[in-house]
Amino acid sequence: MLLDDFFSPRILVIAGKGGVGKTTVSAALALVAARRGRKVCVAEIDRKGTLPRLFGGGTLGYQPSELSPGVWGMNVIVEEALAEYLKVQYHLNRISRMFTSPQFVDYITTAAPGLKDILVLGKIWYLEQGRSAGGQVQDFDTIIVDAQAGGHMLTFLSAPMGLADAVQVGPLRRQSEWIIDMLRDRERTRVHMVTLAEEMPVQETVETSDALRARVGLVPGVAFANAVYTSHHHSQGSLERFRPEELDAGVLKQEAKAAGFRLEDDDITALIGYAGFFKARSAIQRRHLAGLRRNIEEPVIELPFLFSAGLALPDIERLADEIEVRVADI
Amino acid sequence: MNPIEDIIKHKEVIVCAGSGGVGKTTIAASIALRAALQGKKVAVLTIDPARRLASSLGLKELSNHPVKVSRRKFTAAGLDPIGELHAMMLDTKTTFDEVVLQYAPTRAQAERIIANRFYHNISSTLSGTQEYMAMEKLYELHSSGDYDVLVVDTPPTRNALDFLDSPRRLTDFFESRMLRWFLIPYMKAGGGIMRAANVAANTFLRLVKRMVGGEVLQDTAEFFGNLEGMYDGFKERALQVAALLRSDATSFVVVTSPSDESVGEATYFGSRLNESGLPFGALVVNRVHPKLGEGIQVVKARHLESLKKGGSDARLLAALLENEAAFMRVVRLEEDNLTALARKIPRHRWVRVPYLEREAVDFPGLVAISEQMFPSG
Repeated sequence: MLLDDFFSPRILVIAGKGGVGKTTVSAALALVAARRGRKVCVAEIDRKGTLPRLFGGGTLGYQPSELSPGVWGMNVIVEEALAEYLKVQYHLNRISRMFTSPQFVDYITTAAPGLKDILVLGKIWYLEQGRSAGGQVQDFDTIIVDAQAGGHMLTFLSAPMGLADAVQVGPLRRQSEWIIDMLRDRERTRVHMVTLAEEMPVQETVETSDALRARVGLVPGVAFANAVYTSHHHSQGSLERFRPEELDAGVLKQEAKAAGFRLEDDDITALIGYAGFFKARSAIQRRHLAGLRRNIEEPVIELPFLFSAGLALPDIERLADEIEVRVADI
Repeated sequence: MNPIEDIIKHKEVIVCAGSGGVGKTTIAASIALRAALQGKKVAVLTIDPARRLASSLGLKELSNHPVKVSRRKFTAAGLDPIGELHAMMLDTKTTFDEVVLQYAPTRAQAERIIANRFYHNISSTLSGTQEYMAMEKLYELHSSGDYDVLVVDTPPTRNALDFLDSPRRLTDFFESRMLRWFLIPYMKAGGGIMRAANVAANTFLRLVKRMVGGEVLQDTAEFFGNLEGMYDGFKERALQVAALLRSDATSFVVVTSPSDESVGEATYFGSRLNESGLPFGALVVNRVHPKLGEGIQVVKARHLESLKKGGSDARLLAALLENEAAFMRVVRLEEDNLTALARKIPRHRWVRVPYLEREAVDFPGLVAISEQMFPSG
């Protein structure tokens, strides 16, 4: 697939279970888009996410701010989205503070479940349309939505259908329909999934893939399998068929000696131990990846485990490199 | 001594908390398993277990009450429990219904509340409800006196702290002066908008009506009307739950992975427990990459280059060395994160659980994790 085709829908929704690396994948996709000269906005949904930390610090506000050249970030805070909505829709300025208090927001979004999601998706729609109440208008080429975890995401994306059914008339119904159009149009929106090669995330991805079709009426794009213990760039891949019991420590020591260094018994133990660990973990991952591929129709893009314990910009750049290569492969 | 052994011996309530994806449910179940092996009658309250783990524990249906894990599971795994292990999966809505039934003055009033659409929305969508109901269930099981130890998993919130604030959030919501102030005149007026009685209230009512329709107001007014007279009961209950969590009977176990993000959350969570007067008991550092050796220092890039040009044994050695170096890099980065963590939470309160070569998604897997946590046997 051409990268330009991948980025042809303006809105990319990144969905997945908590802890699978949605923000990391969102950030990497943002870099890929920015490298191609696009102006990108990553929208976190009502949370202080880790996105700004990947780009060196700061916090995200409701107004998009530039995190690195071409990459912007924002936090779609529900209270602010409601305030903006009331301003645009009902011209409420003076007493809107009362209506944006957490208690009112809790009330109105409980009274009308789905409203919260409509407000957030409505803000994405505004962004897509290049509109904004007050503030300056930002024209983004790509809007990456770092969506809520798992089941919440389905509720999130199916909210407009629910609300369109529940509210028969009025502005909210009309707006819900605009949002449904936006979500179902593959030229405008594409939902990509992120998973780990583990039991629960895979199971949830399969369910998400089915539910997106059944409940939201859209066909997902791809599934990114994050933190896979192997990479085609790496010689480690050859260890998958390695059998520790066939290993001859003497031979290894000799090879080391021939190459100009000395290996001790403890070193051999560590080499064999880590090879066994790698083999065992990647076997588990392979099994889950096979299950994933069997159960979803979408292409699966594997992203490597970066052998790190916390990611920074260079790691995200590496993932962006991987994505460029692997999207081209599908 | 393993701090969790101590907790199992002396505490009645063990709350496992931590950010999403760190293996909280597994750790909670492993602690419960250990308690059963030590002779306790223990119940583990899970929120969202992996399907295989759930069925492995016999949690096929949502009963919302603990079900005993059969002895056969233990004997098949070569274990001989002196105590009993019970497990349950929380059903938020059913728990909420039970609370309403208990606190409503009459059965009819309870049923009116349960049938109300606004109530239905609260129990399914208001954030904090699931967290609160987990605590509520915990309190109920504790009061029953049926178990020696209760282990509770907390909901998979993105933010581990959410559940600390949840009881207050829900009771505040019920008690909301703003809502009652606006809705009471509405109810008194028989559902009509009062003329000029209160400008702000009228603006509120009109706006809600225009945004989401008049039925919603009707539902809410009915709900708050039926709840009248129950606030004190709820509040009292929330205070009792909070008192139990703060008491000597309870201990919090914070679960983290060694990644910098998760460690940051755990540190913050530890300090929040302190501030809130909640008893921190132990930290479980889960999924730590195993440290094998001290790292092979003698290998230089040129050595690897020459190995890669060699025969199959030489190439295998290069792959083994690169693999070892990659894992040692993770191990060192994790150690850095954990060193920072040790400055906040002393190591004698930790239990480290290595990343295993198998998954803890069934009963034997759980036993394997438990054996890692409690190696003394």
